[in-house]
Amino acid sequence: MRGLILKDLMCLRKQLIIFSYIVVSVLVLSVMYVLSAKYGNIALANEGMMMENGMSSIDIRNLSTWVLSIFLLLPIATVGDAATIFSEDGKAGFSAVSASLPLSVEKRVMAKYLTVFVMFGIGVLTDLLIISVLSALTDIVSFAEFFGMIISAASLMSIYGALVIVFCFWLGHGKEDYAIFCSCGVMVLSAVLLNFRKIKTLFAPVSDAQGTQAFDTFINFFKQKFYVLFIIALITMAVSYFVSVWIAKRKRGVV
Amino acid sequence: MGNVIELKNVTKDYGDFKLDHVSFSVPEGSVCGFIGQNGAGKTTTIRLLLDVIGADEGEIFLFGENIKNDSARLREDIGVVFDEMGFHEFMTGKDINIMMKNIYKNWDEKGFFDYLKRFSLPSRKKCGDFSRGMRMKLQIAVALSHHARLLVMDEPTSGLDPIVRNEMLQIFREFVVEEDHTILLSSHITGDLEKLADEVVFINGGKIVLSGNKDEILEKHGLLKCRKSELSSISEALIVNAQPGTFGVEVLVKDRSVCKKMYPEMVIEPVTLEDIMLFYVNRSCNESGKSEENSLNTSDAGNEFATEEKER
Repeated sequence: MRGLILKDLMCLRKQLIIFSYIVVSVLVLSVMYVLSAKYGNIALANEGMMMENGMSSIDIRNLSTWVLSIFLLLPIATVGDAATIFSEDGKAGFSAVSASLPLSVEKRVMAKYLTVFVMFGIGVLTDLLIISVLSALTDIVSFAEFFGMIISAASLMSIYGALVIVFCFWLGHGKEDYAIFCSCGVMVLSAVLLNFRKIKTLFAPVSDAQGTQAFDTFINFFKQKFYVLFIIALITMAVSYFVSVWIAKRKRGVV
Repeated sequence: MGNVIELKNVTKDYGDFKLDHVSFSVPEGSVCGFIGQNGAGKTTTIRLLLDVIGADEGEIFLFGENIKNDSARLREDIGVVFDEMGFHEFMTGKDINIMMKNIYKNWDEKGFFDYLKRFSLPSRKKCGDFSRGMRMKLQIAVALSHHARLLVMDEPTSGLDPIVRNEMLQIFREFVVEEDHTILLSSHITGDLEKLADEVVFINGGKIVLSGNKDEILEKHGLLKCRKSELSSISEALIVNAQPGTFGVEVLVKDRSVCKKMYPEMVIEPVTLEDIMLFYVNRSCNESGKSEENSLNTSDAGNEFATEEKER
């Protein structure tokens, strides 16, 4: 099985190169942002916002967290693209070779999941390293807060990865774009259905204070209740794995 | 010596194509040529053998074990070569080695690189830049580098030039020098099989038409040449099929020696596997539409002839 994971990582070689560029860019941009937020133009702008718009220091801090979160999401978002593995396998006709290997269907499917885990692991570790650097530079960012953000982001991406894998198995080779589309659709739909009431209030007229509060609740959920998303990710991965094995056994030749 | 491959009444129905109660066996240490025209069911049979697809009916045994027990473990001893390479185009020989040594328990890294060297395959060059011949050689190098006892090859020589084909046949010959090494070689290039095979299994339209020892099959069959008017005088039990030849009619007969005795004035020539394949395929084409039990084999031919002789 290790051989298949290595093969999958080879398929993602190009992505790993892009990933390394993104990591460097994110690190540079984050450091620049943090330094500027403490000593430079962003610090001045923040002061202005506090004076003119009546924003508190907590609001400013949340705003910074939001900006840095977007930066830190980029490495995780670019690292684990399961659809590329399927598309490369499909182009090569690797399923024939794979089926002749002394590995059971379960192990062949598991290899795909482990590859995605490995890739997310690389993304999470990189982000943690970046936060260590940032939290050492400034008090705007605390390691504990961003740890929660990163786990939340990785969990969301894992859910997405698990959905992509199951859709790729279901739809077969050459339909990876549809698999991505379906996975995004399922995630958006689930998020909308689970938060329907909250989303409804967004469309109602609210005061600035209420708007800021809603924004803070959203950020705090990711920071503090990351374990909820983590558990959902684990459950989704497990369900997705068993469904994928079931599909792969019925629809032989897809893995 | 036991059978390395054994299929018993294996059926797989795709709706538009059916592999119909296929039964044959391949003895250990032999080279079995699996012949048939394109779409006859060769690849489906191989996929069933490797448990890539599941059979609707019947049983498949590899090395004496039912593949349903643990096909993954059994595949440790099988080297497979497909007509298309299957490795990613960006992969190099070195990449394939890294992958395979982490999959096969018996992977022989040194052996693999020795094969690459022998086949003049650069280990750092991407597979995508290889010619068709090089791709096939790469697959063979992989198949031979984990000490497989059985080589299953699906059209490995198709589309290759005669020099490379000959080179590959030589490699296969070397492989079967070991007593416990067996080859199942699917091909429609019958010339290759005549050079290499000990056993022959002929599949047509999802049914096994003929199976047995190649030499016996070639010895038994004959190509009788006669005038069209003489055709009616030949016993029908002996005829597989007849078709117009250069100077009259060519008839594939099931028992050459009996035919020689019965019709000493007629010319009966030895046949090739290609002749046998063509005549049998044409016969089923002619008979398409009729429901028939097409289980002809060499021994059946003898029995039918004996009955007719008795009646005479």
